[in-house]
Amino acid sequence: MLDQSPSPDKSHIHEDNAALIFDPLKFRNLEAKNRIFRSNLSGMFDDYNGQGGNARINWETKFAKGGAGGIISSYTPVMNKGRILTRYAMMDHDDKIPFWRKIGEAAHEHDCRFFMQLSHSGRQQDLGGVENVFRTVASSTDKKDWFHGILCHAATKPEIKEIVDAFAQAARRAREAGLDGIELHGANGYLITQFLSSGINDRDDEYGGNWEARSRFVLEIIRAIRAEVGYDFHLQMKINAVDHNSWLYPWQPPGNTLDETLKIVRLLMDDGKGVDGFHVSAGSTFPHPMNPPGDLPMRDLVRWYDGMISQGVRAGMNYRIFKNPIGAFLFRRYWLWRRGKKVEGINEDYSAAIRKVVQQIDPTVTVMVTGGWQHADRIAGAIRSGAADAVSIGRPLIANNNLPEILKTSNGPAPGKECTYCNKCLINDLENPLGCYELSRFEGDSFEEKYDEMIKEVMSVYYPPTFT
Amino acid sequence: MAIDYNKLTPVEAYERRRSIWAWIVIALVLVLLLYYFVGRSEYVIAYDDPEEHFKYGSIGSEGVTGLPTPILQALPVMYKDKLGGAGWAALGLNTEPGQPLPIGFSRRVVTGVERAWLNCSVCHMGTYTLPGDDELHYIAGGASNDLLLYDLITFFIEVGKDPGFTADRLIAAINSDEVPGHLNFLERLLYRTVVFRQVQAGLQALADDLTFVLRQEPFGPGRVDTFNSYKVLQFNFPMGPEFISDVALNGSSDYPSIWMQAPRAGMNLHWDGNNSSVRERNLSAALGAGVSPVSVDHDALARVRDWIDTLPAPKFPGDIDANLAAQGKPLYDEYCAACHGTGTDDSYDYNTTRHPYLGQVVDLQDIGTDPGRWSSYTQGFAAAQNSLYAGYPWQFKKFKKTSGYANHPLDGIWARSPYLHNGSVPTLRDLMNKTSDRPTEWYRGSRELDLNRVGYRSDEVGGGKFFYDTNVLGNHNTGHEGPEYGTDLPPADKDAIVEYMKTL
Repeated sequence: MLDQSPSPDKSHIHEDNAALIFDPLKFRNLEAKNRIFRSNLSGMFDDYNGQGGNARINWETKFAKGGAGGIISSYTPVMNKGRILTRYAMMDHDDKIPFWRKIGEAAHEHDCRFFMQLSHSGRQQDLGGVENVFRTVASSTDKKDWFHGILCHAATKPEIKEIVDAFAQAARRAREAGLDGIELHGANGYLITQFLSSGINDRDDEYGGNWEARSRFVLEIIRAIRAEVGYDFHLQMKINAVDHNSWLYPWQPPGNTLDETLKIVRLLMDDGKGVDGFHVSAGSTFPHPMNPPGDLPMRDLVRWYDGMISQGVRAGMNYRIFKNPIGAFLFRRYWLWRRGKKVEGINEDYSAAIRKVVQQIDPTVTVMVTGGWQHADRIAGAIRSGAADAVSIGRPLIANNNLPEILKTSNGPAPGKECTYCNKCLINDLENPLGCYELSRFEGDSFEEKYDEMIKEVMSVYYPPTFT
Repeated sequence: MAIDYNKLTPVEAYERRRSIWAWIVIALVLVLLLYYFVGRSEYVIAYDDPEEHFKYGSIGSEGVTGLPTPILQALPVMYKDKLGGAGWAALGLNTEPGQPLPIGFSRRVVTGVERAWLNCSVCHMGTYTLPGDDELHYIAGGASNDLLLYDLITFFIEVGKDPGFTADRLIAAINSDEVPGHLNFLERLLYRTVVFRQVQAGLQALADDLTFVLRQEPFGPGRVDTFNSYKVLQFNFPMGPEFISDVALNGSSDYPSIWMQAPRAGMNLHWDGNNSSVRERNLSAALGAGVSPVSVDHDALARVRDWIDTLPAPKFPGDIDANLAAQGKPLYDEYCAACHGTGTDDSYDYNTTRHPYLGQVVDLQDIGTDPGRWSSYTQGFAAAQNSLYAGYPWQFKKFKKTSGYANHPLDGIWARSPYLHNGSVPTLRDLMNKTSDRPTEWYRGSRELDLNRVGYRSDEVGGGKFFYDTNVLGNHNTGHEGPEYGTDLPPADKDAIVEYMKTL
């Protein structure tokens, strides 16, 4: 079992904690009913061409019903060339607007806000799909991603312009679809990180160099979005507090430090014309030992990583390492060592530093943080100390869709029902419907009984079916 | 019932079973390769030059009787109390500078371990110094006058019985500064678990087999009791006092020189003429060096045989009075040549038609020399020898019990002191005298040549450390005397004959 956060805070009673958590959050342009946001995740529920369907609506509804104050969508590619995994809905054309409108409506039925996360994979294109198989993807650099060996080319100026424009158009579509706001995926090693990070961006034009030059790309996106949707539409930035780019290969450059991030944060606020909020994360790859923090299930990895073998030039080697008993053991130990002991609230201190800077400049800008949140005392502690305005939760909400309801009356889910941060959901997502795959959490007296329960829960995303 | 949350899928279970088989196959292949390349293959430390091959080349004794090289290097360091600071030199083994072991030790890697043991040159490397000069001269193919084989055997017996001979002390000695080489962790483990035990067991077995040696008179430097150990080690002959007389137990003889073997083909070889086949004699001597019929390296032996076939006898290193020698030649030809052949202008005449007794056996009562060596070679032993190398085309068949001792050519005779088969007469000049005039007590083991009387120095001061008492069993200096042997000639004639013999 994972070494989780310290024992519940003894100096506050649960009621106090709940009060903080369920205090509505005021953004510049909207309000959410509590401080719990469903973080960016979804499964391969959608059509290959990026259209959405019934399953996705069911998925988002789970969390809206469960009581979250807001949902931030999983990454939504602004263009097909920037997709991350196949069978995820996109916002690349106006023809996607009707689907997303339905999503927004489903969330609003439960007084849940819905932000769309606009994304471009850059070189972290894990499953490019058949449309992209003869292309290399645009990145800041020509250097392939060092984790899976996914090949890329440095974006030309026209390409950059095309991508900036795609972000702006996707933002427009999100507004037209009636969604509550957008989030720029500027974290976790995707295209914007590839420009922002000193560990990845090796350009020698105006988009590369010092922190300000590296920020040019995302600043252009923000300004283009503002030009398109104005200043009354919520726009937040998911950002790496620290890159930790050397986690796998120590000879890779370490990437951005917290100091650089603070400078970037100030820049992106753009004298009040920039972002309305920040979403703090860490790690210049996805996944990363710090994100999502937890275990690495090696057997699941061997079962579901194989689809990536044809995607990157190092994926085959990775697979053989995962498959080898000694390689798997060593890799997992290395992963855990790089993660460190803390899981719940792993980014709390980073968020505190960022929020301090943000509050000094403009207190209307919100800061939410992600990273293992599950327990009321920890969440309330972060809000109370000023580390964050809200938390975003992923895996614990998959484990218990109604976690917000649970946290109203208890510190956390019942023993045996908690999210264990095993990350089996993450790894299964590569090839299977997203859900909780931690067998021990399910009811049953035998392996088969538990397994059936687990499958039932996972497949519940397809109910009700499209046609009855 | 506990639930196995890490259950394998059917595909994974199948693959795991299959990979177990793959590992088994890989392991088997590795074991086979290891068996072939380490277990069965032997790697010889070989030499191109025939003389180097003679000195250090392997004839195949290491796998049977040998010890790992580091152990042989460590033993003198561990047993300074027995050998003194000189190491193997205390036992008459000479080490050339830069060599890991003395002359006479060859090396071969057997079952992955480099071992060393004896070859021909341990006994057949002569040495000498000239008066007033320290420089050591070697005669490859000569007769060792240094080797203390008796003491070497007893040394190994004592080591085998010594409770202080432990793996820890051995390893500490090998890793010390005084011994070249260092054992790493794996090697130390190997030594502690396998090597040391085998060595100790081997030495103890040797000690058990050769306890009779302690009943023998010491051989002294340059002498060996040729066949008694052979009887035990090859045939397990019982050696208790009820089975062997003291006379037969004490038949130590000098090592012979082995140059110019080609002309000796057909002569009755060994001191008692027990075999007329050079090939059988060579293979038998190899057994004496510690090979077994299976381990003997025929190719290596053949190289030695080819070399000694035509290895020239060494030339006398001092001045020769040509006139005196010229006077001695007709006397030599009259008294000595019929049995021993004679010299020619540039070489030696081995012709057995011209010299009818050359290579023939002389009855014991006629030659009158010490009977010990003759007694130790028995009919039963000859019969047993003729069973050696059974199953091979070269199975022995020519060993025979003779009636006495054989006559051999005298090429290079100046270098073959002391004289008579048992080395009981120090110089050629002494041999020309009757027994009553020969030295009864003298000192053996010197390397310094007496260039006048021809032979190693034998006086108390410079004659070596071994007190040679001719009254001891096996040391009698009788025989080879009488009118036909020239012992009645006037001293001047004897001097002339000796001077002539310097030219042979």
